[in-house]
Amino acid sequence: MNVIDIKNFKKSFGKKEVHRNVSFSVQEGECVGLIGGSGAGKSVLLRSLIGLEKPDSGEVFVEGENVAPYTEDQLIEIRKKVAYVFQNGALFDSMTVYENLAYPLREHTQLREEQISKRIHDLLDEFGLTANDHVYPADLSGGMQKRVGLARSIIINPKVVLYDEPTAGLDPFNTVKIQEMILRLKRKGTTSILVTHDMPTAFAVCDRIYLLKNGMVGAEGTIHDLKKDPEGLLSQFISGQGV
Amino acid sequence: MTLAFKFFQIVGEMSQLVRQIWSEVRRKPLYLQLIVEQVLQIGIKSFPLIMIVVGCVGMVMALQFGVSLEKFGGKMYVPKIVSLSIIRELGPVLAGLMMAARVGAGITSEIGSMKVTEQIDAIRALGTSPIKKIIIPRVVGSLIALPILSVMANTVGVYGGLFIGYADLGLDPQFYFQKMISTITVSDYLSGLGKSFFFAFFISVPACYYGLKVTGGTRGVGKATTRSVVTACILIIMSDYFLTKLFLTLEHWISG
Ligand SMILES: Nc1ncnc2c1ncn2[C@@H]1O[C@H](COP(=O)(O)OP(=O)(O)OP(=O)(O)O)[C@@H](O)[C@H]1O
Ligand SMILES: [Mg+2]
Repeated sequence: MNVIDIKNFKKSFGKKEVHRNVSFSVQEGECVGLIGGSGAGKSVLLRSLIGLEKPDSGEVFVEGENVAPYTEDQLIEIRKKVAYVFQNGALFDSMTVYENLAYPLREHTQLREEQISKRIHDLLDEFGLTANDHVYPADLSGGMQKRVGLARSIIINPKVVLYDEPTAGLDPFNTVKIQEMILRLKRKGTTSILVTHDMPTAFAVCDRIYLLKNGMVGAEGTIHDLKKDPEGLLSQFISGQGV
Repeated sequence: MTLAFKFFQIVGEMSQLVRQIWSEVRRKPLYLQLIVEQVLQIGIKSFPLIMIVVGCVGMVMALQFGVSLEKFGGKMYVPKIVSLSIIRELGPVLAGLMMAARVGAGITSEIGSMKVTEQIDAIRALGTSPIKKIIIPRVVGSLIALPILSVMANTVGVYGGLFIGYADLGLDPQFYFQKMISTITVSDYLSGLGKSFFFAFFISVPACYYGLKVTGGTRGVGKATTRSVVTACILIIMSDYFLTKLFLTLEHWISG
């Protein structure tokens, strides 16, 4: 079954037509890369999957439910299943790392404080952030903030994770760390969509890639195809020849 | 876009926000702890400023009235005039204006920064409501804090007057106090207090509204903060006239 299905997605901002007609789908357990030039509308598309943005027309199916017309209340259940990883972490800067991570647990689970604490410390260890629990986000490096953001998004075990440029602006060490985390989640069966400009990361973690161009899906292919066919449209975009 | 159109757009959007607040404040969960935190924060932040300002105004008024009324032998009316104007007008209005400057600005810049760093979106993405988590605690917090601050401001303002009455005008404090008590009625007090609820609303709603509307990075936050304070001050001053009318009518009506 397709976990995500976008059909005839159209969206304009004022006179600017960003998505003319976008359709694509993601199967369960798959990791799909979404690439395209800056301003192609990748973030808007990703945000509309959890209702942070509404399409002008078209359908956005998440596990068979069209979430496009959903109200904020109806979206709560969707947002528990589908996590969004913001580009810069979007951590709550008035709260410590611990409080940030506890937030989804306190809102959406019945866990007791010891269980919450254990879950947070396990996750911090897993993400290489041990002993940073009582630090405020402002005192963390950009790479660490991104990792905490990722940890906060996945702490209640979502089925789907949406990554908006999770490796942008990171050094090679942090990039590899994030790749490892995405792969680890993928092995657990999590479905994911990865918006990125970072092709090595896309190659490392994705099964398939969609290219967004001129408000439509300009090309599509599996990583396998890409390696086989260096002359294809997708390969050309990736090597910087035809944005 | 013409100015009038923009004005009505803002009014419309603010009413929309108020409607959202109203519909969400009646549904669980209501984060009581966040509200209490806001009451304390708002109180602590604006307490010194409000007390200094209203205290000084009480002193200045006693001095001004004392000196001008002395010519007509009307110095003993100072307690009456000063305490009435503080309690009915200046206490609540000045407390409101100071809170707009201190707290309103703070709310807008805080929410605005959260907006530009995607924290507001993160609250939504994590399956929670920014209205419940951010807006309601600040609006309800203001509605609770400002009346309390106004009561304190009234006290400080009135005692400021009493002090000058004693120190500069040579009025007996005992006399001053008695005059004051015999002048002020419960309805005077309630009228001042009633206003402060409205003022709290006029500070917190625009503050939240402009914060949520921020676009364009940190520059946008600065602009929004200025707008929020200006809007709150104008609303306070303009509504004060109508509120005074309203409360006078009410008092008249109740006392028969
Ligand atoms: N709230 C908005 N108001 C007006 N225009 C918007 C808004 N959000 C997005 N846009 C426009 O939509 C287009 C797509 O934006 P989006 O952020 O999705 O691009 P992107 O593909 O993620 O680019 P990047 O790779 O730079 O992040 C951009 O041209 C942007 O200016
Ligand atoms: Mg983007």
